[in-house]
Amino acid sequence: MRPIIGITTYVENATWGVWRDLPTTLIPHDYVAAVTLAGGRPVLIPQEDDTDVLRALDGLVLAGGPDLGPEMYGQEPGPHTVVRPERDTAELRLVRAALEMDMPVLGICRGMQLLTVAAGGTLHQHLPDLLGHEKHRPAPGVYGEHDARFEPGSRIATLMGDDLAIRCFHHQGVADPGTLTVTGRAEDGLPEAVEDPGRRFVLGVQWHPEVVRDRRLFGALATAARN
Amino acid sequence: MRRPLIGMTAYSRQVQYDGNDLMAGMLPMTYVRAVHAVGGRAVLITPDEPGTDVVESLDGIVFSGGNDIDPAYWGAERHPETEVDKERDTAELMLMKAALEADLPVLGVCRGMQVMAVAGGGTLHQHLPDLLGSDHHRGAPGTDPLAAGAAAYGRHDVTVRPGSRAHELLGERLTVNSFHHQAVDDPGSFTATGWCPDDQVIEIIEDPALTYAIGVQWHPERTNDLRVFSRLVEAAAKRAGLGEAALAV
Repeated sequence: MRPIIGITTYVENATWGVWRDLPTTLIPHDYVAAVTLAGGRPVLIPQEDDTDVLRALDGLVLAGGPDLGPEMYGQEPGPHTVVRPERDTAELRLVRAALEMDMPVLGICRGMQLLTVAAGGTLHQHLPDLLGHEKHRPAPGVYGEHDARFEPGSRIATLMGDDLAIRCFHHQGVADPGTLTVTGRAEDGLPEAVEDPGRRFVLGVQWHPEVVRDRRLFGALATAARN
Repeated sequence: MRRPLIGMTAYSRQVQYDGNDLMAGMLPMTYVRAVHAVGGRAVLITPDEPGTDVVESLDGIVFSGGNDIDPAYWGAERHPETEVDKERDTAELMLMKAALEADLPVLGVCRGMQVMAVAGGGTLHQHLPDLLGSDHHRGAPGTDPLAAGAAAYGRHDVTVRPGSRAHELLGERLTVNSFHHQAVDDPGSFTATGWCPDDQVIEIIEDPALTYAIGVQWHPERTNDLRVFSRLVEAAAKRAGLGEAALAV
């Protein structure tokens, strides 16, 4: 039996076929395909303020999405911050319970930021204000390509090997990682990977490994989930 | 006390939202809310090959609405109006057989009911207007045929066979919404227990030998009448060894 990997989801007004603007639970297919190719059985987790669903899971992917509400890390929302408060509440509760169970967790983009906030850390709300460039989100629908630097001996360094190319699409970033360890950075010094070496498998990446179905990362999650 | 976990089959298709146009795993929130409203916890099951292993983790399952089933499954030629979803066909027919085999509580909605019939060796009518000379089973997208003042288009009664599981649950007559152009012809291993009185189109099928296996041709998730969902979640709770308290909502 394959490990069952839950993936968090969006709620958006979606249009397809004859249907227009229906409130819909959805996740880009890339995430589903990446989990499947890595040997996991994906299930999608509709937002709900509970943790019952963890019982059925062997591992968890915290997917990308809108910005986290800054009140979760003690700040006022800035002018570029776009939030979905209901999703925040539900996911924070879910990730805390998953960490308590020592369930393997892979956080992607917003998911990495969620791991950070759950670990008591903080975020930068709009990177162009801090860095003076838009290389982490060049334009709508365009990924910023970077080479990352990984901390030797870290989980992410081991998984990535010599291929350091990452594809980013975000305008917020990790400021203080809380109790997590920063194990990867972009050329400009921005944290690109965080880990919790004290747990079985807790890895957050600021880039989008699902877009290339990266078996290194999803495979490692599936392996941890199987054990 | 935890809630019973209800798998819901999901679409995998191109959608547009918020400036994006991409392939997504998705399901309208009406389905999710229906399960949550009656005390279940929904997880979405994307089309997958070859897997049915997820069935072991669920307490119940809903087969959702969607596109048409490939008529090749019952040996018929494809009608010009038939729009198939091959990926969901393969995945859901396997999942349906596994769920029935495991006696997992099952609810089929619209296409989901048709998947039940086909999995049970039955057949479908591919385009009701050819059979009936009318398209009154297909309400306009985005409408609520049950709303006060709505036109009768996409709304009709269902009569339920006395003595059936459906009768025990729904009584002998109810009014439903209707958004389909195909329908069950031969229910295969299932028993037809509800019909549209105007044209005898099959509206409910069930297997009384199983704990809970019922399919309805209408869309209860888009109404306030969630009885078929409630009974599913009750059966799921019982299977999971959860008490009545789990369903106090």
